[in-house]
Amino acid sequence: MLKNHIKIAWRSLRKQPFFTFLNTFGLAIGIAGALLISLYIYDELSYDKMFADADRIHRVNADIKLGGEDRKFAVTPAPIAETIDNDFSEVELTTRFRTRGSALVRKVDTEVNIKEQQATYVDSTFFEMFGIDLLVGDLKTALKLPNTLVLTKTAAEKHFGINEALGQNLLLNNEETYTVTGVIDDLPDNSFLREHTVFMAMAGYEDSRIVNWGSNNYQTYIKLIPSANIEDLQAPLRAFLGKYVIPGVQQFMPGITEEQFKAAGNHLIYSTIPLTDIHLNSDRVAEISANNDIQSIYILSFIAVFIIVLACVNFMNLSTAHSLKRAKEVGIRKTLGSNKGELIRQFLVESVLVSFGSLLLALIFAVIALPFFNELADKDISMPYTNPLFWLILLASASVLGLLSGSYPAFFMSKFIPVKVLKGDSGSLGGSNVRNALVIFQFAISVFLVISTLVVYQQLEYIQNKDLGFSKDQVLIVDDVYTIGGQVASFKEEVKKLGFVINATLSSFFPTPSSRSDSVFAPLEGATDQENAVSMQRWGVDYDYISTMDFKIIAGRDFDKKFKNDSTSIIVNESAVAVMGVTPEKALGLSYTPDMESENPKYYKIIGVVKDFHFSPFRDEIESLSMHLGDFAYSLAIKLEKGSFTNAIKSIEGIWNKVAPGQPFDYYFMEDSFNNTYKSEQRLGHIFIIFTILSILIACLGLFGLAAFNAQKRTKEIGIRKVMGASVSQITYRLSSDFLKLVLVAILISLPIGWFAMNKWLEDFSYRIEIGWWVFALATLLAVAIAILTVSYQSIKAAIANPVKSLRTE
Amino acid sequence: MLLQLNNIYKWVNSGGQRIFLLKDINLEVEQGEFISVMGPSGSGKSTLLNVIGMLDSFDEGEYHFLEESVHTLKEKHRAQMYKEYIGFVFQSYHLLDDLTVQENLEMPLLYKKYKSPERKAMVADMLDRFNIVGKKDLFPVQLSGGQQQLVGVARALISNPKLLLADEPTGNLNSKQSEEIMELFKQLNNEGVTIIQVTHSESNAAYGSRIINLLDGRRV
Repeated sequence: MLKNHIKIAWRSLRKQPFFTFLNTFGLAIGIAGALLISLYIYDELSYDKMFADADRIHRVNADIKLGGEDRKFAVTPAPIAETIDNDFSEVELTTRFRTRGSALVRKVDTEVNIKEQQATYVDSTFFEMFGIDLLVGDLKTALKLPNTLVLTKTAAEKHFGINEALGQNLLLNNEETYTVTGVIDDLPDNSFLREHTVFMAMAGYEDSRIVNWGSNNYQTYIKLIPSANIEDLQAPLRAFLGKYVIPGVQQFMPGITEEQFKAAGNHLIYSTIPLTDIHLNSDRVAEISANNDIQSIYILSFIAVFIIVLACVNFMNLSTAHSLKRAKEVGIRKTLGSNKGELIRQFLVESVLVSFGSLLLALIFAVIALPFFNELADKDISMPYTNPLFWLILLASASVLGLLSGSYPAFFMSKFIPVKVLKGDSGSLGGSNVRNALVIFQFAISVFLVISTLVVYQQLEYIQNKDLGFSKDQVLIVDDVYTIGGQVASFKEEVKKLGFVINATLSSFFPTPSSRSDSVFAPLEGATDQENAVSMQRWGVDYDYISTMDFKIIAGRDFDKKFKNDSTSIIVNESAVAVMGVTPEKALGLSYTPDMESENPKYYKIIGVVKDFHFSPFRDEIESLSMHLGDFAYSLAIKLEKGSFTNAIKSIEGIWNKVAPGQPFDYYFMEDSFNNTYKSEQRLGHIFIIFTILSILIACLGLFGLAAFNAQKRTKEIGIRKVMGASVSQITYRLSSDFLKLVLVAILISLPIGWFAMNKWLEDFSYRIEIGWWVFALATLLAVAIAILTVSYQSIKAAIANPVKSLRTE
Repeated sequence: MLLQLNNIYKWVNSGGQRIFLLKDINLEVEQGEFISVMGPSGSGKSTLLNVIGMLDSFDEGEYHFLEESVHTLKEKHRAQMYKEYIGFVFQSYHLLDDLTVQENLEMPLLYKKYKSPERKAMVADMLDRFNIVGKKDLFPVQLSGGQQQLVGVARALISNPKLLLADEPTGNLNSKQSEEIMELFKQLNNEGVTIIQVTHSESNAAYGSRIINLLDGRRV
């Protein structure tokens, strides 16, 4: 029987190539879209799961509110690891990371440095904690001694073969000598350590052994024993404040008590987060690598479900519409004794056949689209061809999809009353309400996606064009200038002499992502009162900084070499002045100190106030900020004249090679770095656009099929009207307007939903657009235009048909 | 003369063979005639009627309607002509199921650019003339076959056509109902309407003033 079903199904599909194509194509697009998104989500969810015992590993977090500012850290004080080890029998192991950013690496006897993006100090428990094996080296001794390090395979091979790696001496940043004690495999792309290539023994890092509860610089991971419950650790961890932290800082702030600390509105809460949750659920200060947002995973899941549902709805719609052509077949089969169940099975076989065909087509689509998708999503996803589970899931979901979307048409058709359908009475076939609802549903989703896309893009556009308060264009930043030591000033002067250079400044701190450092500043007067403290960014800059960055000074003056004591001056921003509770003019002359813990605190006098500028993403409010003249700088920022940058870069590199032979010339444009900050939004925008187009395409396929069906169903009516003198345009209008009504209903449903959802999304941004009415107008216009285009072909075709044919009585 | 057909041929190509639907048809119709077209199934009666009604094209020959050469007219003008001069009555009535009697009558007028008050007056007139005022708000399914055909005829006549074409108007009716429709045709003919009907029934054909016999697309 099944064989017969398949044979009949195959024939009837082949007999209707157009409908079969619409069905297969629509479903294939849906499956391909959902497949790509699923692979993406699967990849996102797989982060850090590859580590042995990943489910028992947790990171210690610190929420600190001090001086009116609330910050959430992924890092904790150095002594917390040892303390946890001692205090909790549930904890088997602790490991600390102290990241130090990029490092220049070369073999001791060579000249040329190679830059590694991420180097970190790490405890020797690292290997046991994460179940990492050494390719060469001894687990028992690796990273135990000071000045030893372990490299990843790729990093090691830049200098020597893996087999001769052991015992090699490497020079880091031209001054620290390390001995290689092991090589590990490259760390997976979906792990939090993906960017890290150099691991140095914590034993050699002095700071890690000092018991200082006041500064947070260490990522601390703990591994529980199998029987332990992480919840049991939370309360004791919170008690660390009174037990260790307060006594620890009493040496700087004599007499401070936990009660005082809390009464001033401060808090300090230690908590934990499972390792496997970090990638999607953690957005803290000093994350070890960039994380994603669980929200974007939710949004993508929604889109995947949307797309699949849209495609299924399409399938149902087209199949029921198509069933009109099958009505006669159903009638004959029923008269010949086929029962309902038999018919349902027949139609289900057909729909499963179509869904398998779609699956095949979808795989082809997905394979073709994967490279583009990877670029779009900034991923390196591949089809898990060799995974039997992948195929199993695909086959299972294709079957389910076929059965699900075939069920309504099958039941619908099996209900046909033979006498009526054989007489050709197609008016009584019904089901049109369901179909109309489905079309409304499809278009509502499409319009919603159009609105979302418009808003996301508008917000991105807004960010791109907003007055940032500084000038990010034509600014080239040369990194690692500290490696040339004392010659850095002359390098700057050489560069400034170049014709196309407008200005140049040395600093480690820039409005685009770069170093950040903040301190609590206490005023000269009323220093003992914690409420007067101001938490500010503390940026070391030079005399040319403000003019190069193009900040606007709204009160006071810039740093100036004419004034002898500018080394004890600071310039603050508007937000800082606001926190101090004075006007910019009144703020001038006030003195603050960032190190009141020391016996002889150094006070800085405010000499200028700059207009606020955006130095953190638009999601966040502008924080308080102070600038002082610093004597150390990672980078040189060079403001160039408009024009070709290639020559400019070449000339600057020439100077660099003269003053710093052998050092890599590492540079980037501030604008690129700025744009990187909004990559995730941009990604979201691109993904939105793509899947909006897909969903509209699917909805159009459905509408197209339905218009065909409708025209077919109303052939008789069209014929009569034509004979009575209706013109082609009158009939076209009549047929199209019915669909436009559905589309308008869909629009009415989706406008408020779109408005609500997008306002919710925008709430995440401190600086955001207002959604204009034109967004809705445009979405409406677009939906209507697309619907008209889709429907009119069928309507016109029906309208110009010869009525004689349709009115012929059998 | 109302219309004239000269050497009309119509054919379809099937399997490399030319099958003639109409073969060398010559016909002159004067105003006020009542013609019955007879012949067995497949002899081309309906095709001839459709050609006369300008709903169907032909492949060869000339067709003159009120001094106009239909075979040279553009589609648009042809539509204009049959809209103005020809009314159709069908075997299965072809009323629109979703419209009431009144709305069905009004429908052709919508396509002829009559103003609403005019349309109302003409519909009321027709309802009156055919004695179906009481049924104006009923839907076709609520009427008997004879009544439905009555509405069909009324609809065909509402814009005062010069020619009424009826394709087996009584084919779906019982004998009493067909008699009534035929009586109506007779009366309309007396009032000056030219009628061409296709029929299988000798008795219906007898109402006409002239009978045209067709066999395999050819006049006999």
